[in-house]
Amino acid sequence: MPNPTQKFDLPTEVISNELIAENHYLLRCSCPEVAARALPGQFIHVLISQGSGLLLRRPFTVYTIDDDQITMLYQLIGEGTNVLSGLKFGDSIRVLGPLGNTFDFSVTPNPAIIVGGGAGIASLMLLATALRDADVHTLALVGSMNQARLLSVKDLQAIGVDTHIATDDGSVGHHGFVTELLTHLLQTHDLQNPVIYACGPDGMLRTVTKIALDSGIPTQLAMENRMGCALGVCLGCVCKVQLSEGGFEYQRVCTEGPVFNAEDIIW
Amino acid sequence: MSDTHPSLQVSVADIRMRNPVMTASGTFGYGSEYVDFIDLNQIGAVVVKGITSVPWAGNAMPRIFETPSGMLNAIGLQNVGIDGFIDKKLPYLRNFDVPVIVNVCGEQVEEYLDVTEKLDAADGVAAIELNISCPNLHCGGMSFGVDPKLTDELVKGVRKKTTLPLLVKLSPNVTDITVIARAAEDAGADGLSVINTALGMAIDINTRRPQLANITGGLSGPAIKPIAIRMVWQVYNAVSIPIIGMGGIMTGDDAIEFFIAGASAVAVGTANFVNPRASLDVVDGIEEYLERHRMHSIAELVGSLEVP
Repeated sequence: MPNPTQKFDLPTEVISNELIAENHYLLRCSCPEVAARALPGQFIHVLISQGSGLLLRRPFTVYTIDDDQITMLYQLIGEGTNVLSGLKFGDSIRVLGPLGNTFDFSVTPNPAIIVGGGAGIASLMLLATALRDADVHTLALVGSMNQARLLSVKDLQAIGVDTHIATDDGSVGHHGFVTELLTHLLQTHDLQNPVIYACGPDGMLRTVTKIALDSGIPTQLAMENRMGCALGVCLGCVCKVQLSEGGFEYQRVCTEGPVFNAEDIIW
Repeated sequence: MSDTHPSLQVSVADIRMRNPVMTASGTFGYGSEYVDFIDLNQIGAVVVKGITSVPWAGNAMPRIFETPSGMLNAIGLQNVGIDGFIDKKLPYLRNFDVPVIVNVCGEQVEEYLDVTEKLDAADGVAAIELNISCPNLHCGGMSFGVDPKLTDELVKGVRKKTTLPLLVKLSPNVTDITVIARAAEDAGADGLSVINTALGMAIDINTRRPQLANITGGLSGPAIKPIAIRMVWQVYNAVSIPIIGMGGIMTGDDAIEFFIAGASAVAVGTANFVNPRASLDVVDGIEEYLERHRMHSIAELVGSLEVP
């Protein structure tokens, strides 16, 4: 019987790798095994082949799936993403995945509130698609530094998600943080069964967590961290998680995560 | 297969292996994490993550950082503890026909003895690797491995508690590794694992903070391979017990270099993080080398350094 959680490590080639917003790229590759299995929240661990000067792989969320192809949306943040951004059509990479757990929307949220800060929105796109497919009423709150760096708004609107924008400099949408949009939404609407799904910078996730705890709204966070193996063995990517029986445990973002309940994370 | 097909079988410190390639402790979990990529039955031996007498939470984040041709880690030996290991991890490994070597660590001698006694009584343990070289513990760990008297005391104590083959994993963070190697041999070690990670450090120059919460960490990967080769060669010339060479092995050719320096077996570590099949790729590379050089066994290579 096929194993539904089977992981693969496969060679593939870059189909396209384009600058889609200031400092942000979208890479597309063919990866049928991952495309057939990846669930919302899951990620891949990418080896940029020989000659890159890098030792370790780099983890990226699966942004979209189109038949046999997957895309990853990434921000230039260091050496790894810098090398990655230089890859062109036909260049080789290896893709390990799909990895990690998934967002849970089995409670049928009404509405599902997606909150993405910066490149964090990338981790929420597959979820938005899955929610649309499940006919779940979904709102997206998308934050960025400025209009030039705004991501995913068109992609979200294209699948019919009601999308609201916040920018730090006010160049488009609400002038301020995306978390202010969230607070405003919760204050001005009587929501029946809301669930929040968030990914973004630590500061944003802390604020989302505070909003979640104050309002009692179930909230799931996609966490990010430096990763070594992404297979659960190096224990390099942990985050601190509260245990129901008291005390805490360092849990692996790559294995127990990347999705955690906001109330369980100890910042 | 031709008649000249080389034999990769080795017996090192009385551990019989189908090939001389182990997985280095801390880089292969408890084995189960890799079964989507690798048949555990094809590895020489699985060396599991360091085990302590009680579960350890590990260090704060960040715990890892990539450096040129290497990585720093300061995990702090987060592990399930010996009882958790025997109950939850060891039974799975018994499904495979592969020697399981358990890396043992602690802060006090008593903890090492406790873990050793339990492993000696457990079913499915092929050998013990005594970790006296973890650089990320404030006491215990490396403090044993930098002092020949403490090494002697600990190895003698553990030796009395088990008849299992006993490997001692040495630290490179010493002035003269042969002093510790001899102390371990004299105290009853059956083999030596050379080397553990090299103590290192990296700083974020913008925040002026260390890249690891623990400030310092252990450097692994190709960056440390020349240090490891040098130390294997030094130890090979100082002791008569076998050496398992490790430190930055990514390919079969890297492993061959260790054999020539004096290792009787090797362990693949950080490479497992990059390539889940790394250990088997190393096996294939070793076999190709032996065929190319018309050699019949690893033994022909061990310590075969030609000094001009």
